[in-house]
Amino acid sequence: MDLFLFYLRKLFTIIKKEVFVLPSRIVVVLFFILLLLLPVFTKDLYLLRIFTLTSIFAILAASWDLLSGFTGQMNFGHALFFGVGAYSAALLNKYAGIPPWGTIPLGALGAVLSGLIIGIPCLRLRGTYLALTTLAFPIILMGIVFALPDLTGGELGISGIARLAGSRVTDYYITVVVMLGLCTIMWKITDSNTGIIFHAIREDELAVRASGINTTRYKLLAFCLSGFFAGISGGLYAHFMRIAGPSTLEVSMSFQVVIWAIFGGIVTIYGPVGAVFILFPLLEFLRFWQELRMLMFAVVVLLILLYMPDGLFRWLRDKIEKECPRCKIRNVAMRHTCRVCTAQLD
Amino acid sequence: MTQSFLEIKGLTKNFGGLRAVNNIGFSMERNQVLGLIGPNGAGKTTLLRLITGILKPDAGNVRFMGKEIVGRKTWDIVNMGIACTFQNMRPFRRLPIIANVMVSCLSPRAMKRGEWVKRLEAKAMDALEFAGISDMAREKASTLSQGDLKRLEVARAVATEPELLLLDEPFGGLSPAETDLMAISIRRLHKGGRFGRLHSEGPAMIIVEHKLQWLMKIVDRIIVLNFGTIIADGTPDEIIKNPRVIEAYLGQGDA
Repeated sequence: MDLFLFYLRKLFTIIKKEVFVLPSRIVVVLFFILLLLLPVFTKDLYLLRIFTLTSIFAILAASWDLLSGFTGQMNFGHALFFGVGAYSAALLNKYAGIPPWGTIPLGALGAVLSGLIIGIPCLRLRGTYLALTTLAFPIILMGIVFALPDLTGGELGISGIARLAGSRVTDYYITVVVMLGLCTIMWKITDSNTGIIFHAIREDELAVRASGINTTRYKLLAFCLSGFFAGISGGLYAHFMRIAGPSTLEVSMSFQVVIWAIFGGIVTIYGPVGAVFILFPLLEFLRFWQELRMLMFAVVVLLILLYMPDGLFRWLRDKIEKECPRCKIRNVAMRHTCRVCTAQLD
Repeated sequence: MTQSFLEIKGLTKNFGGLRAVNNIGFSMERNQVLGLIGPNGAGKTTLLRLITGILKPDAGNVRFMGKEIVGRKTWDIVNMGIACTFQNMRPFRRLPIIANVMVSCLSPRAMKRGEWVKRLEAKAMDALEFAGISDMAREKASTLSQGDLKRLEVARAVATEPELLLLDEPFGGLSPAETDLMAISIRRLHKGGRFGRLHSEGPAMIIVEHKLQWLMKIVDRIIVLNFGTIIADGTPDEIIKNPRVIEAYLGQGDA
């Protein structure tokens, strides 16, 4: 009992000293809690469905940020990983009878493999050339899918695969917990030593090589990690929608990911996730305005990009927090002195 | 037979029709500091880039401590113990300065050599301390001045604890006072020893530089390049008196 109290007190201290000092951290904690408690407040199946899909796409957007934002390997064909994850999960489920908890990781491994396959020829390319080359890969795969209608169902896709779980609420919990877990892992990766090298490769690859780092290995690692996370989201999507169709490989899907990530702010992980949670429901709720739906969507995105070129969440964060000029620790914007080194803020 | 430390034979590199480095061959010893001078476009930087594997030579070979290094990847060469700096500084601009150095500390060579240093930051800080910019460790590299960027380049190279250090214009853009400091640092580095938790092997060096006044003080041998070939090789005193060098730098006298 004492031990329990000890850990409880420790937890409170951590929350008080680490979380409540910065509004952005409070927002993240609130976001976690709200997402986990949503089914308690509403049993509306439509709403739960939207947020399940949102969570799935949040993983996808964050994984794009890991590859293209952090490592700087512009990938305009991110739908490839999503599609490979979805199709492999669907095929494994339909023809091998493996349940979803097995097919989703295996599908993700398939996406890692595809990451290696496109990563190796793309190693020498960078910038625009890389972006254009990667754009082609999902289209190639779509051609293969159409060429093998007996196996892949052609344009109709593979339907009738197993459900993720019995009920909508369970589906929701599985995807949300997986999303929160994976995004935390991605954030941890970007915060680690590997993350520093990813950042450095984006800034100047030649200088990283001259520092004695095997950049080929790290770039392939970035492709594989990104492919793994995107593959998981593809598998979740296939099992949630119970269909893996060519729409998962479409060019519009690739660009959607890019739009989400840039809207929220690249090189952040939290940016793309937050952006999906704004843009995806927005697109759904604009359905009552069928004709103007895409137009409104475009207007919102354009306005954000015009006035907040670093992304919405970067902009918001800079409004409510400022960096101490001396110790580089972030403080609430209202403070006049730094909370750690007591230097004057601005 | 004793192996020489660095041995270059018949090294040639063409850029289209231009022969930037033409059949260069020399060898140097472990304890030497070599100055590499010559007019602009003489092929000095190209020579350094050929040694580090950033450029691939068209012909010739380079042996470092008895091993052929032509054809190896740049990171392999760096991990064998050759570190280089860039003439036009290439920092990771959006990363803090300490992270710039930590990338070098993460190279396999540095990780292997500093096992007893548990914290990467500590080692990176010592490299910055050596270069004299440790007080700005948390600033973004884009905020640094030219002189400090040069120091950052040196810190990055030193962090891999090299045996051979290739410095491309370490004094470029520095004021006379800063140049003095840098020259002292370089000489101290060559002596070897410990800088905090960082161990210096007392690397041999090849220094490309235009500021001869300072260069003469720290090197014990100078090689002069012109149009991609070696036109003189000797101690600083010999080089100053060499008529071919004077001609290359000042042009031929008419009178």
